[in-house]
Amino acid sequence: MAGVGRFAAFLGLWLVLSGSDPAGLVVGLAAAALAARISLRLLPPAGGAVRPGAVLRLGLLLLRDSLAAGLDIARRALDPRLPIRPGLVPVPLRLSSGRDAFRLVASLQPGTLPVGMNAEGRLLVHALDTRLPVAAEAGRTEALVAAALGRDAPHG
Amino acid sequence: MIGALQGLGLLAAAAGAGFFLAGTVGLIRFPDTTSRLHALTKADNLGLGLVVLGLLPFAGSLGAALKLLLVWGLVLLAGGTVAQMIAARVRGTEPGA
Repeated sequence: MAGVGRFAAFLGLWLVLSGSDPAGLVVGLAAAALAARISLRLLPPAGGAVRPGAVLRLGLLLLRDSLAAGLDIARRALDPRLPIRPGLVPVPLRLSSGRDAFRLVASLQPGTLPVGMNAEGRLLVHALDTRLPVAAEAGRTEALVAAALGRDAPHG
Repeated sequence: MIGALQGLGLLAAAAGAGFFLAGTVGLIRFPDTTSRLHALTKADNLGLGLVVLGLLPFAGSLGAALKLLLVWGLVLLAGGTVAQMIAARVRGTEPGA
């Protein structure tokens, strides 16, 4: 049940924010129930069960890429020659649902920032250095996001 | 006297501050809005992550430590989302973006 899982997640969030004071817990339970209801309306579950192993791998990738992205930016910003070549790279998306999750991950990866879709339905990614293999990297991330969300692995 | 963990924490927080500085240099030096967004989101993500990591030994309780990690997570979520919205907004208004 997606609703139960979300309720538990919101309640966990409440406990972290407010502590487990019993008086507050009543409000927390109500707030978590309401938040779970609203989230089901705004973001209906889209089939496929979340796979913990793949989520863990995605989390580790995110940590590693955060480090790489920060170092990359620091290196380019502090280099007197300012070695950047910004530009837009169209990336074909195979993921139909879970695109927002993919875009969030991509925005935290080194040198890429999704901007929007173009007329051909491709995701435009702003690359800080267009010489880097932006599309290939995005494809790998997309496959990992699809696996984490329990979607069919995109083929092609 | 501070413990070894606290000492490591201070080092991590100092490194985090260094990334905030580098991100700010990028913000000033990069030529267009979208490139500047890269500098902000990436450097601040890592900078804040290191500051949070560095503060964990000083948190004193599990609740406070979880709260610190939650702050980092929320900033990642907000930063990654807002950067894309700003990038979409400026798209086409300047060359190369």
